[in-house]
Amino acid sequence: MRTGRLATVLGLGAFALVVLVPFWWIASMSFKTYEQIQFAQSIYVPRPFTWENYTGLWLGTRFPLWLRNSAITAIVVTAITTVVACLGGYAVARLRFPGREAVASLILILYLVPPALLFIPLYRVLAELGATNSLAALFLSYPTFTVPFCTWLLIGFFKALPIELEEAALVDGATRLQALRRVLLPLAAPGIVAAAIFAFTLSWNEFLYALVFIQDERTLTVPVGLNLLIYGDVFHWGELMAASVITTVPVVTLYMFIHRWMVEGLAAGSVKG
Amino acid sequence: MVGLIGYPFSRAIWLSFTDKLVGYPERFVGLRNYVYLAEEDTFRTVVRNSLVFTVASVALKVLTGLAMALVLHATWRWRNFFRGLLLLPWITSTVIIALTWRWMFDAFPGRGFFNSVLLDAGLLTRPIAFMATPEGAMAAVVVANWWRGFPFFGVSYLAGMQSIPGELYEAAAVDGAGAWRRFWHITLPGLQHVMVVTILLTFIFTLNDFNIIYVMTRGGPGTATQVFATYSYEVAFNQLRWGRGVTISIYVVPLLIALIPLVSRHLLRERAA
Repeated sequence: MRTGRLATVLGLGAFALVVLVPFWWIASMSFKTYEQIQFAQSIYVPRPFTWENYTGLWLGTRFPLWLRNSAITAIVVTAITTVVACLGGYAVARLRFPGREAVASLILILYLVPPALLFIPLYRVLAELGATNSLAALFLSYPTFTVPFCTWLLIGFFKALPIELEEAALVDGATRLQALRRVLLPLAAPGIVAAAIFAFTLSWNEFLYALVFIQDERTLTVPVGLNLLIYGDVFHWGELMAASVITTVPVVTLYMFIHRWMVEGLAAGSVKG
Repeated sequence: MVGLIGYPFSRAIWLSFTDKLVGYPERFVGLRNYVYLAEEDTFRTVVRNSLVFTVASVALKVLTGLAMALVLHATWRWRNFFRGLLLLPWITSTVIIALTWRWMFDAFPGRGFFNSVLLDAGLLTRPIAFMATPEGAMAAVVVANWWRGFPFFGVSYLAGMQSIPGELYEAAAVDGAGAWRRFWHITLPGLQHVMVVTILLTFIFTLNDFNIIYVMTRGGPGTATQVFATYSYEVAFNQLRWGRGVTISIYVVPLLIALIPLVSRHLLRERAA
């Protein structure tokens, strides 16, 4: 048994290293001065330690604006997605209508259609609507991948809840909407929170659509803006690292509190690679 | 929803039969785009690169995912903590992951992790330009994609292992089966379903991956890491040949049509059970 435990500890250590080293490399570079990076000084830990990349990023680039754009987009898309996915998920899980199974399959298939297939024609459609080059393009296009995924997740969640509770509420004279609001939603809250967080993370991290649909530098989201920092000016390494840290921290913090829900939400709803 | 995906998709099919150039009206040219691409050397390279990238990434993810699940399964304390920790790459923005690995492999010691560490340890006398060779660049994008994806495989396989009844292992141990035979005859068959789902899903998404390659190499050096999505973007938005750009992504559709029903059948069966 002892060798088994040793192997487990070694394995855990190896995996933790593989996962943490890249994060640490970026974080440590974000606290190095230009000279420390340029001349490969204090490789492992930044010494001396500097905040100049963070101040430079905040004051000298459009990063704050991009952060705001990303936040607005993620919040709007999450709101749209949560409402639509709740109603859609409930309809498929609970209401009896012809073609219910077909709708469930269709939602799954829509989720599996890769964005790489749609970005060119979507660009034309959005251009005809006059929506390109504004955040509206993202509000319209992001639900094409968040809604199918979250609806699929919530169908599983709603199906797992006992139907008797709602029936009891209906017998007691509640309307269907009341039954949904007062009985089912509070019970499904963990699933809905998980779906909302997935929608938020997917929009926060999206790159391809934002790259294609938006040209104006002031309307960009963080991922596309970061990419601009590399090619725009070669000397921005430290600031780029600082930007990566700032962008990652909110998602990681959020996730530390609720990762158990996310994992369980995934187990109930399957799946994203 | 169907409108937002179905309409652009039908526009994509129509565009692929035209010679649409930005700024000019489109003309119907039948299958000319398809024939042109089938005869183009670059497109053949793109097909090969896409397959190499996808198969290598998926194979690595399955193997390390299994190892990670075995390690976590054997962990007797803080299992949830480690599961959360190892899942960090999966929630991090793909663009940031791509930037991170771009720096990890950078030829310049102050920025490149591998060069810094190897030079510092005296194992190298001169830095290596990992991403300047076709093989090195391909390896780098595969590593980045693997790092992003293997934690999800690990967590899925862990969930699968936890649902295998312990009595099976006890019975096998009583019958004298060693650890390896128990893994081969009980664990692997028990994971069959979740393995099929993760492999197929990731195959679909990796084959159409855009972010990692675009950010790390832009398809280069030369066309050494150009894949379907990046080549489609290049032709449509840099060469402004929309008809041909769309056709590149439509070449993947037959494969999707073959794979998507397989995945959805597995996922729907999971729901029914």
